[in-house]
Amino acid sequence: MERLKRRLGLHPTDADSEDWPPWYRAYRDILAQSEVPAADRLLNTITIVVLDAETTGLDVRTDRILSLGALRVYGNSIHLAEKFEAYLPSPSSVENSHAIPIHGIIPNSRRYTYSDEPSMLAELLDYLRDSVIVGHHIGFDIEMINRALARHGAGPLKNRVVDTVGLAKRLRPAGYWTPEGDYSLDVLARRYRIPLSDRHTALGDSYITAVLWLKLLTRLAVKLDRDLRISDL
Amino acid sequence: MPNQVAFRIYDYLKDIEPFSYLEQTVLLRVASKVEVRYQPPGTVVFCPGEPPRDRFFVVKEGTIELFSEETDGSELLVERCGEGEVFGIRPLLAGDNYVFLARAAEESLLYAVNSEGFQELIADNPRVLQYLLTSMAGSSRYAREYRAAAAAKIAVADDNSGAQRTPDLQSMQFVRQTRDPIVCRPDQTIIDAARYMTEAEVGSIVVVDDARRPVGIVTDRDLRQSVATALVSRQSPVAAIMSSPVRCIGTRATIADVQIEMLRSGVHHLVQTEDGTNRSAVVGVVSEHDVLLVQGNNPAVLIQEIGRAQSSRYLRDLRDRAETILAGFLEKEVAISYITTVMSQINDAIIRKSMKLALARMQADGHGNPPALFDWLALGSQGRGEQLLRTDQDNALIFEDVPEEKYNQVKAYFLQLSDYVTEYLNDAGYSYCDGDMMASNPKWCLSVSKWKAQFSRWMHDNTAENMLHTSIFFDYRGVWGDGSLPDKLTAHIFAEMEDHSTRFQASLAQAALQNPSPLTFFRNFVVERSGEHKDQFDLKARAMRPLTDAARVLILTARQGNINNTFLRYEALAKLEPQNAQLYHDAAEAYEVLIRLRAVLGLARGDSGRFVAPAELSRVQRLLLRNSFTPVREIQQLLEMRFQLNFLR
Repeated sequence: MERLKRRLGLHPTDADSEDWPPWYRAYRDILAQSEVPAADRLLNTITIVVLDAETTGLDVRTDRILSLGALRVYGNSIHLAEKFEAYLPSPSSVENSHAIPIHGIIPNSRRYTYSDEPSMLAELLDYLRDSVIVGHHIGFDIEMINRALARHGAGPLKNRVVDTVGLAKRLRPAGYWTPEGDYSLDVLARRYRIPLSDRHTALGDSYITAVLWLKLLTRLAVKLDRDLRISDL
Repeated sequence: MPNQVAFRIYDYLKDIEPFSYLEQTVLLRVASKVEVRYQPPGTVVFCPGEPPRDRFFVVKEGTIELFSEETDGSELLVERCGEGEVFGIRPLLAGDNYVFLARAAEESLLYAVNSEGFQELIADNPRVLQYLLTSMAGSSRYAREYRAAAAAKIAVADDNSGAQRTPDLQSMQFVRQTRDPIVCRPDQTIIDAARYMTEAEVGSIVVVDDARRPVGIVTDRDLRQSVATALVSRQSPVAAIMSSPVRCIGTRATIADVQIEMLRSGVHHLVQTEDGTNRSAVVGVVSEHDVLLVQGNNPAVLIQEIGRAQSSRYLRDLRDRAETILAGFLEKEVAISYITTVMSQINDAIIRKSMKLALARMQADGHGNPPALFDWLALGSQGRGEQLLRTDQDNALIFEDVPEEKYNQVKAYFLQLSDYVTEYLNDAGYSYCDGDMMASNPKWCLSVSKWKAQFSRWMHDNTAENMLHTSIFFDYRGVWGDGSLPDKLTAHIFAEMEDHSTRFQASLAQAALQNPSPLTFFRNFVVERSGEHKDQFDLKARAMRPLTDAARVLILTARQGNINNTFLRYEALAKLEPQNAQLYHDAAEAYEVLIRLRAVLGLARGDSGRFVAPAELSRVQRLLLRNSFTPVREIQQLLEMRFQLNFLR
C-alpha cells in the first residue's frame, strides 16, 4: 500500500492542476470539501464502493480497460439499484487479445452500450465521490484507472483504498497451510462459500468481492471482538 | 439491459412464490432493485415494534429465525425461514409494525426486495395477492400475528408448511352474508351500543342514519379504549368514539376483495352495503375474523367459531371444516398425539355448544335451570380423546344424588336435556348410537349412587354383555358440568376393585382377547368371513380394540384412574413397568399407525374407516399395518400370562 501511495504521489500529472478537465476538478472539489473521516468512525457508517475492472491484459503500460463495474455497500447491504457499469470499445491493437476467452467480452460486440474513455471516467468519479474503494487486488485496477486518467489530462484517484486480499491475509496469514499465492478471488470465494456465478464480468466480480468483503469484515470483528472502525483497515 | 448480477437474482427469484407469478420483464425490474443484505450469525434483521422500511426479505442463503416476545420477556421461536422463504411482508402490506424479532441463526444472505414497486404489482397481478393472502391465512405465523389464536388454549403446532401452499380457490368465494348487522343511531349512548354488541355477541356495531346508511363503526377495541382511558363518558353519544367514515364493500365482494381492502386500508371491519358505498343501506359487516375463518385452517379459530355458532346446522359446517384440517394434518404427517388433542378439543367444543343450545331450549320450554349438579360424560373413543372422524355418539349423564321424592322429576329434566343434546349432536353429524349408549337412554342417565351401583354390578357379574359395557363406559370423561362427579365414580370403582379385583380384571382381560390375533399362520390378514364386510379386515375390532382393551385393564390394575387415553396409558405403563417398556412403546406406536390409517381411509371414503379391503392399501400401508400386529399379539400374550387366562378358558 505504501508503495502504491508513493507511486500515486509521484504521478506526473498531479501537479498540472491548471490543465485538469472540469469533471476531474469537480471530483477533487468534492473530496476537498468532504471531511476526512475520523479514524475511530464506525465502519458500518461509511459508504463503500466495491470496484472491479476488466482489462485487455495484465500489463498496466500497454493494456487497456474494457469494462468497469462497481456496487455501493452501506453497512451490511449491497444496493443493486446503485450499480455502476460501463463498457469501452476494445482498442484496435488488442482485438485478437487473449483476454476474450476469460471475460467473454467480444470486441466491438453490439451487446453493450459503450462509452468513450473520458466520459466513462467522468461518470466513475461522479459515482465514487468520497467513498472508500474496496476491491480484490485493487492496486492493479486503481493503477489502470489512474493511467487512463493521466491519458486524459486528469489527476489520480484520491480515495481511501482497501484491498480484500490484505484483509484475507490478516485473517489467515500465508504459511504452511496457505501457500503465498492462494488469495485469488476464486480460492477465497470457495473458502467463504460464495457462489462463483458471473465471474469475469466487472459487475459479477464486484458482487462476489462485495459479499467477500462483508464476510471478511464479520470475521475480523469476531477476531478483534469489537465493532470495526476505519483505523482497523 | 439488465446486468448479470440482477439477472442472477432474477434467476433465483423466478422459481419462488410469489415472484413466480410475475412476468419476466417485471421480475427483472424487481430484481435490479434488490438490496443484498449480509447477516452474520446472531444479528438482528428487524425488531418487534419497528416500522417496516420499504423492503421485505427472501432468504438466499442461511436461516432466519422469527421469535415472538412473550409477556414474561422470553423469546418463543415462531418460525424458521430457510432458503427461498419469504418473510417480513405482512407488516409491510398491512402498514403495521413488525410483530416478531427476526434474527440470523447462521451466516445468511438476504435479498431485501423493494416493496414500493411490489405494491403496484399486487394490484396488477391478482395471483400474487392471492398467494400472499392464502399463505398468510394458512401459516401459523400469520395466525399468531392476527392474534386470533391468543384466546384459544390450543398450542399452535410447529406446522409452517402452509407458508408454501399453493393458492386455493377459497379466496374467490363470495363472503358469507353476515348475520343481520347490529346497528345504532349516532345519538345513542356508548353504553347502549356496548349492550347491543354484548347481546348479539358481535365485535362491532354500525352507526347508521335514518336511511340505514353507515356513518361510522364502533368496535370492541374502540369501546375498550374509551373505557380504559375514561376520556369519554359512557353516557356520551357513540358518535364521540366511532370511526368515520367507514370502509364499505358491496354484497358481491369476494374474500379476496375484502382482504385487499383490509390490507390497503388497515381496518379490521368492512361494512357491506347494497351498492358498496356509504350512500346505500347497510346489509352486513365483514370482520377480519370472518375472513380468517373462511381462509384459515386454524383449529383455534374454528373452536372460537364453534363457541359463536347459533345453530346445529352451522356446527355441522364447522365440523366439516375440521375434517379439512384433519386431512391437512394427515397429509403433513403431523404427530398423532397432536392431531388427537386438536380433534378432541374440537369435538368437545361441539359437545359444549350443543349443551348450551340444549340448556337454552330447556329454558325456552319453561323447564328452567338444571335442578341438580350434573356432568356430561363422553364415552368410548370420545372419552379417551382419540376420536378423529365423526362416529356414533357414545355418552352418558351423571347427576348428584337428590332426595328420593324428587328423583323422578330431576331425572325427567336431564332426560329431556339429553334428548336435545343428542339431537343437536346428530344434526352436527354425530349420528345416534345404534346400541343406544346415550344419555337420553334412561339406563345411562343416572344419579351418582345409581351409577356406582351400576358399575358394582358390572364388576361383580362378569357376563359378556357387562364386559362390553365396561369397555365402553370405563373410558368416561367429563366434558360439561360440575366436574366433581366423575371423580366420585372413579373413587368408587377403585374401592370396589379391592373386593372383586382378580376375577373382574381377569374377565376384562379375557374380553380383550376375544378378538383373535389378526395374523393367521401364513401371516396374511384375517378377513371377515361373512356378512356385509366379507373379505374386509375389521381395523377397529381386530387391531385397535385389543390395544385399547389391554391398555384399560392394565391401567385399572395399576390403579391409575385418571388416565383415559390409550397413548397416555401405555406411556404411564412403560414408566410403571420398565421391564415391559419396550413392548408398551411398541403398542403405543402400533396404535398410532392404526389410528392414522383409519383416519386416512375414512376420510378418503367418507365413512368411519373401520373396515379395510387389503387390496385398497398401498404397499407401505400394508407393511405398516402388518407390523402393527406384532405388538397386538405380544400384548395379548402378556395379558394371558399376567391374568392366567389359560386356566380360565
